[in-house]
Amino acid sequence: MALFRVHIPILDEVKSKGLKPALRDKADDLITRVTAGLDIADVRGVLRDDPPGRPNPRLKPHAEGFWLHMKPTYYHNLVDGLYPTFRLGWLSVYAFAFEIITGVFLMIYYTPSPLIAYENMLDILSNVPFGRLMRDMHKLGAEVMVIVVALHMLRTFITGSYKFPRQFTWATGVILLGVTLFLSFSGYLLPWDQLSLWAVTIGASMAEAAPPEIVGRNLNLIVRGAPEFGAGGLLRFYLLHIIALPLAGILALGVHYYKVIIHGHSLPPGVENVGEDTARKVPMDTRTYFMPTILTRELWYVSGLTFLLVAYSAFIFHAPLEPHADPLVTPLHITSPWYFLWLQGMLKLGDKVLWGVILPTAIIGLLVSLPYVEVGPSRRYGDRRIGLSAGIVSVIAFAVLSYMGTPYYAVPTSPDQEAVASLLPQTQPGPLRLAPWGQLVLGSYEAADWQQAPTPAMRELLHTFDEELTRVETADGQDVEGIMVVEDWQTDLKKVTIRVVWTDAATNQPHEFSQTAFLHRNSDYGQGE
Amino acid sequence: MKWQIALGTLSVVATVIVLAIVAAGEPRRMAGFTTSYQARQVETGALIFENSCRPCHGAQGEGIEGVAPALNAADLFNGNRLRAIGFAGTVQDYVRATISSGRPVPSSGTNYPQRMPTWSQRFGGPLRDDQIDSLVAYVMNWEERALQGGAEVTQAPPGEVVGTDITVPLPAGNADQGKALTEGNLGCVGCHILGATGPAWLPSGDTPGMGDRAATRFGQADYTGHAATPEQYLLESIVLTNAYVVEGFGPDLMPANYGQRLTPQDAADLVAYLLSLR
Ligand code: HEC
Ligand code: HEC
Ligand code: HEM
Repeated sequence: MALFRVHIPILDEVKSKGLKPALRDKADDLITRVTAGLDIADVRGVLRDDPPGRPNPRLKPHAEGFWLHMKPTYYHNLVDGLYPTFRLGWLSVYAFAFEIITGVFLMIYYTPSPLIAYENMLDILSNVPFGRLMRDMHKLGAEVMVIVVALHMLRTFITGSYKFPRQFTWATGVILLGVTLFLSFSGYLLPWDQLSLWAVTIGASMAEAAPPEIVGRNLNLIVRGAPEFGAGGLLRFYLLHIIALPLAGILALGVHYYKVIIHGHSLPPGVENVGEDTARKVPMDTRTYFMPTILTRELWYVSGLTFLLVAYSAFIFHAPLEPHADPLVTPLHITSPWYFLWLQGMLKLGDKVLWGVILPTAIIGLLVSLPYVEVGPSRRYGDRRIGLSAGIVSVIAFAVLSYMGTPYYAVPTSPDQEAVASLLPQTQPGPLRLAPWGQLVLGSYEAADWQQAPTPAMRELLHTFDEELTRVETADGQDVEGIMVVEDWQTDLKKVTIRVVWTDAATNQPHEFSQTAFLHRNSDYGQGE
Repeated sequence: MKWQIALGTLSVVATVIVLAIVAAGEPRRMAGFTTSYQARQVETGALIFENSCRPCHGAQGEGIEGVAPALNAADLFNGNRLRAIGFAGTVQDYVRATISSGRPVPSSGTNYPQRMPTWSQRFGGPLRDDQIDSLVAYVMNWEERALQGGAEVTQAPPGEVVGTDITVPLPAGNADQGKALTEGNLGCVGCHILGATGPAWLPSGDTPGMGDRAATRFGQADYTGHAATPEQYLLESIVLTNAYVVEGFGPDLMPANYGQRLTPQDAADLVAYLLSLR
C-alpha cells in the first residue's frame, strides 16, 4: 500500500482526450480564472471588437471579478467620449496608483530622521539606480495628481454632476481633495532640505494661529511634535504621508467609486429633462459596453500618460534638492508649494486668524455643503448662470491669490538684499551659481561698467545686477553702487563677493550690504538638484 | 478602437525605451552627482569656515601666530604632524576627529592660549554631521596647494614697524581701519570678542568698554606699566603685553610680537578703534 497517492488530474485528461485538446482545455480554464469569466475565444472576441454573444459573456468579470466589479458594465453613448468626463476621475485614480508605486520604491531608501533623511536623499540621487528617476516621477506625479483632481472637481461642478442624486459623491470627493492636498504637503517635508522645512513651516504656522491661544499652541504641538519642526515633526509627517493619508484616501475612494457605480455617470446636462436622472436607465441601443470599448480607451490613456510622465521626468523635470534643512537660517523669499500659494496670498492680506484660519475653514465647509445647499433642480448651463459665474469668479480669485502668494507681491525686504538676491537667490541656484565657472575671471568689477567685463557670462551677470540696482535706485532715489569681486580661494574654488554700497539720502551715512558665495569648478547646479 | 490599441502598445514600447536609455546613463549620472555633491560640500565648508574658523585659523587657513596653527600647511598633509603625535589614521580622519571633538587639552609642544573648540553636535558643539563633513571636504581641498608650499601667509608689513617704545608719536588713526585690522590676520577678535581668553573690549554689565578703561587704567594703584595717556596704555597693552597684566588673566597669554608686526599706522588705527569702544 502506498503511503500517499499523487493525483495529477491533467494526466487523466491527457489519457482520455489526447495531449493537445487536454492542454487547450487547461489553458482555457486558466484564462477564464484569470479574467474572472472570459475564455480564450471570448478574449479574442474582445480584442477584435467582435459583437458579443448572447448572453453577453463580457458582463461576467463585472459580476465575479474584484477589479471590474468597481467598473460599470456599460456607459451611455453620450458619456463614452472625452466630453463630459474628460476621464479626469479615472486619471485621478491612476495618479494615486502611480504615486503609491513610485512612493514604495522611495520608501525603501528613506528613514524619517533629521539625522539621516537628507543623506538618504543624497544616496537616492548618487547611489541608487533609477533613484533620481523615481524621485522625479514621484514629485511630478504628485503635482499632476493635484492638477487632475482639481480639474475633475471643476468639471463635476461645471456639468452640475454634484446635484441630486450625487450629492454624497461630491462630499466624498471633497475628502479626496483634502487627502490629495495633504499628501502633497506632508511629502514636501520629507527630503529635509531648506525648501521643505521652510515651506512646511509657513503652512504649519496657520495651525498655530487658531484661536484661542491655548488651542493654537496645542494644535501646533500636535502638528510639529514640538514647538519647532524636528525629529518629532518629521516622523509625524512621514506617518501621515505613508499610512494615515493613503489609508484615508483608499477608504474615501472606495465610497466615492461605489457611489459612482450606483448612480452611473451623469449624462451631459441638457439631454435629460430638468430634474430627471436617467444615467441608470440606458436603452439597449445607446449602450457602450465597458469591454472592449471603454477598457481600451482607459488603458490607452494610462499607457500614454505613463509614457509622458516617465519621459518628462527622465529628460526634463528634476525635483530640486536644496541644502540641508537649518532651523536657524530662514531663506529669503521662501514660498509654499504652488497649490498652497493662494493661502500664502491670503495670509498677506492681514489678520492670520481671519485669513489663515476662519476663511479656509469656511471654504472647506462651503465645498462640502455645496450640493446640499445649492439645490436648484436644473443641471443645464443656461439655468445656472449665477452658479457658474460664481465658479468662474472663484477660479479667478484662486489665480489672483496665488499670484499674491509669490514673492512678487508685497514682500517687505530691503532693496540691497533684493539686488544681491537677483544674482544669488536663496531658494534656487540662480544666475551666479549657474554661470560657467571658467568664465568667472578673477578681479573686481563694477555693475555699472558691465560692458567692460572680460567674458560674456560676467557681462550678463553684471548686467542683471546693474538692472536690478537701477530699479532699486529709481524706487528710492538713492545713489547705489554694485561691486562684484572674484578671488581665487582654493584649488578649483573661487570666492565671489557681491557688494551693494549706497549713501542714505536722509542721514548722509554710507551703507554696505554684501554676500559671499564660494563656487567650485565641479558643483554643476545645472543638473536640476 | 484599433488605433487606441496601437497607440497604447506604442506608448508601452516607448516607455520601455526611455527606461533603457535612463538605465544606460545611470552609472555616469550617479558618478556625476557624486562629484558635484562633493564640490558643493567644499563650497558649504568654505562658508562655515569663513564664519566660524577664520578668526583663529586665518582667512586662508594660514594660521595666526599665537592663536591657532595653519591648516593650509604641508606638514598636515604629508603626514608629519600625524607621525609626530603617533596618529594611525588618515589625514582626513585626523581633521574630522579634531573638528568634531576639538582639543580640550593642548597638544604637547604647543602653547596656544585657547583650546580648539568642539564643533560637532554629537559632542556638544553647534554643527550638524553634514556641516562637519563639509568642513572636512573644505580643509582637505587645501591638500594640493599646501603640499606645494601652503598659503601665502600675509607677512608683517615691510619697512617700518612700531616697535616697543610706547612714547613714539603715532600718526592720526582711523577707527574703521583699526576695526578691520582686528578682524584680519592679527587674530585679536579670536581672543577678545569670540573667546574669553582675553578681556572683552565691548562694554558689558558693570564693566565699561575698552576706551573708558584705557582712560582710567594707568591711574590705578595696581598699575605696573609706564603709560601716561590712554593712547600709550593701549599701545603698551599691544606691544608690551606683560608690562601690565590685567587682573584675572595670566602673563604671556597675548602674543608678544605685535611690536614687530604692526606699522605705526596700524598701531594708530588699532588704538583709535579701541578708544572708540565706550
Ligand atoms: C578659538 C580659536 C579656534 C577656532 C574658532 C577654531 N580653531 Fe581649530 N584649532 C585651534 C587651536 C588652538 C588648535 C591647536 C590645538 C592643539 O593642537 O592643542 C586648533 C587645531 C585645529 C586643527 C588640527 C590642526 C593640527 O594640525 O593639529 C584643525 C583641523 C582645526 N583646528 C580646524 C578648525 C576648524 C575647521 C574650525 C572651524 C569650525 C576651527 N578649527 C576653529 C583654535 C581654533
Ligand atoms: C592669544 C590671545 C590674544 C590675542 C591674539 C590678542 N590678545 Fe590682547 N589680550 C589677551 C589677554 C589674555 C590679555 C589680558 C592679559 C594682559 O594684559 O596681557 C589681553 C589684553 C589686551 C589689552 C588690554 C585690555 C585691558 O582690559 O586693559 C588690549 C588693549 C589688547 N589686549 C589688545 C589686543 C589687540 C589690539 C590685539 C590684536 C592686535 C590683541 N590684543 C590680540 C589675549 C590676546
Ligand atoms: C483622489 C481624488 C478623486 C478620485 C480618484 C476620483 C474618482 C472619480 C471617478 C473615477 C469618477 C467617475 C467619473 C469620472 O471619471 O469623471 C468620479 C466621479 C465623480 N467625482 Fe470624483 N474623484 C476624486 C475627487 C473628486 C473631487 C475632489 C470631487 C469634488 C469635490 C469629486 C466629485 C465627483 C463627482 C460629483 C462625480 C460624479 C460625476 C458624474 O457622475 O458625472 N471627485 N470620481
